[in-house]
Amino acid sequence: MTSEPAAESGSQHSGVVPDPALLAAPQDEWKRVHIISPLVRGWIALVAIIFFAGRDWFESLLSGEDAVGLPGDGGARLPWAIAIITGVVLLVAAGFLLSWYFTRYQVTEQHVKVNSGIIFRQNRQARLDRVQAIDVVQPFLARIFGLAELKFEVADAGESAVKLAFLKLKDAQQLRATILARAAGVTIDPEHPDEIQEAPEREVLALTPRRVFGAAALSGTTIFLILALVAVIVLAVLARTGALLAIVIPVGLAVVGGYWSVINTGFNFRAAISPDGIRIRYGLLDTRTQTVPPGRVQAVGIIQSPLWRIKGWYKVTVNVAGYGAAASGESQARATILPVGTRDEVLQILALVLPDPGTENPVDVFTAGIRGRDNDGGFVTSPRRARPIAPLAWRRNGFKVTDTALLVRSGAWWRQLAVVPHERTQSLAVHQGPLARRFGVADVILHTTPGPVSPRVVQTGQDAAWTLFHEQARRAADARRRSGPEQWMRPVEEPQRVSMPQPPTYSALDRPDEAPNDNR
Amino acid sequence: MRKEPIDPAGLDWTRVSPKYLTVQLIAWAVEALIYLVVTSVPLVLMLTDVWPGYPAWLAWGLPAVVLVLELWRVILLPRQIRSIGYAERDEDLLVRRGIFFQRTMVVPYGRMQYVDVAVGPLERAFGLCTVKLHTASPGTNAQLPGLPTEEGARLREQLSERGEAKLAGL
Repeated sequence: MTSEPAAESGSQHSGVVPDPALLAAPQDEWKRVHIISPLVRGWIALVAIIFFAGRDWFESLLSGEDAVGLPGDGGARLPWAIAIITGVVLLVAAGFLLSWYFTRYQVTEQHVKVNSGIIFRQNRQARLDRVQAIDVVQPFLARIFGLAELKFEVADAGESAVKLAFLKLKDAQQLRATILARAAGVTIDPEHPDEIQEAPEREVLALTPRRVFGAAALSGTTIFLILALVAVIVLAVLARTGALLAIVIPVGLAVVGGYWSVINTGFNFRAAISPDGIRIRYGLLDTRTQTVPPGRVQAVGIIQSPLWRIKGWYKVTVNVAGYGAAASGESQARATILPVGTRDEVLQILALVLPDPGTENPVDVFTAGIRGRDNDGGFVTSPRRARPIAPLAWRRNGFKVTDTALLVRSGAWWRQLAVVPHERTQSLAVHQGPLARRFGVADVILHTTPGPVSPRVVQTGQDAAWTLFHEQARRAADARRRSGPEQWMRPVEEPQRVSMPQPPTYSALDRPDEAPNDNR
Repeated sequence: MRKEPIDPAGLDWTRVSPKYLTVQLIAWAVEALIYLVVTSVPLVLMLTDVWPGYPAWLAWGLPAVVLVLELWRVILLPRQIRSIGYAERDEDLLVRRGIFFQRTMVVPYGRMQYVDVAVGPLERAFGLCTVKLHTASPGTNAQLPGLPTEEGARLREQLSERGEAKLAGL
């Protein structure tokens, strides 16, 4: 309650339904989210209440008599039931409406502010130039109403710093453009502050539905399905009981869920480049547009599961400070910037997140990283003496340093490559256990923000590990001194490009490639 | 301090206070006593004929195993504490620890988000404190236990000052 005066000062517009046309208007304009939002947010609660209440009523109607054992006949009870249900529904609806009424937001030159809470008021204020990512999400129901949710992420790895649910799609996009423009430090024409154009974008790649279904068919879910089928058949032969259904149903649900998450997050996937950073869109029922401004990617991971080797497909994930480490399907999907792609597409995406690969020959180096072994591309692998502790992987475990990034390669079956730009290294560690000491090897661990990528140079030679440790610490420090400003379009020493950038590519990308890449 | 093979050359490691060994020994004694008492309960019950059916080998074996493990721990303790060290460089702080599982960490000043100084009751009695460094990565688990209080305060000031000077966001 302590913050009530602050809320009061902002409530001078409270009687007026906000006019969406004013969204990009000057400051000191407190706005509310769309009036339908409480319905969209509360619909699950409503549906649940109506479902349970309706089922009870329906059952008692079917049984005719007092199945539940309450006194009185069905006819006399019915009005009471309806009254109670209506009361509960009204209470829930009132709760959502009040929460809607008391939630207001404002975007100023420097900050985005949100006031919320009915009894316990909360005023939140986030600096625009600390933005790590902005998502515009449309859950299925919101999509029907043409609404969208805006998520503003800062680096604290928890919940979204600011969540505005729901705005009209166009308003959400306009707000995103405003936030990005102000965060970027674009000089805004003072006479027309509301004419902020969304930064233009150029599409870099799009996935066909065929590719997404193929990726699902060859994903780890299929391996799981085959193993589960074998287990079920063996059990059926051995046990001959009807209890098998108890296994089949959860397995079936897990399999369907696994396929669904691959398809739903990969469907209609498009990646684009704009001055405001990388923009990706995806989704079948729920759609999501994510924008990651330049310099916000902390680490990139490229993985290939064994079955994907048939097609030469890879998946690219990133660590972005705002996305956090939660293992939920949603946060994994958010950290995925290429759900399935050929080598060329992977290199294309890498060129977006790491415009300067820092090597003469990026194509060879990254190809060696994602599918090579031994010393191709200049990688330093585990020494031969480490063979007894890593019979297959010793030829693949390795690292390579370019002028701008460290590439860490590992995994013989599940191939992985992690790329960490030097200026994004948080801290470093060398670990050595007794067994590793016996074989004269050590691990070098790079600490990065929470996310799916955890770079670790596995079992590299002891001396190489120490050299890497010290040189990497020095390189990270050097790179940080040179790193760009947080406001990526603020005119600094040299005039910054404000026009549409060409999507960067690694120059030799159109070289012929021996892997099958006509399988889109 | 003794050089381990994993140590990088040309670095002057600062050791933690020798008083930290006393702190750890007291903590160890209390902990070991609790474990021993708890695991000896069946033995006492058996010897006092409250629970005569209890297998004798288990009744004697459990506290014996605990005793051996605790003795092993206390033998290692001095070496473990000697292995904790840190070194301040121009750009970063190095922290090392461990004898079997050795780990050395380098934390750049510019990456430090905040510095914690924690003091427990036992540490306070001996004038010690624990300094903890945090970066944006949860993997950075840099802890320096057993620093004298003045040294901890100096280190904290030094670290935050250097961190501010070299601040580069994320």
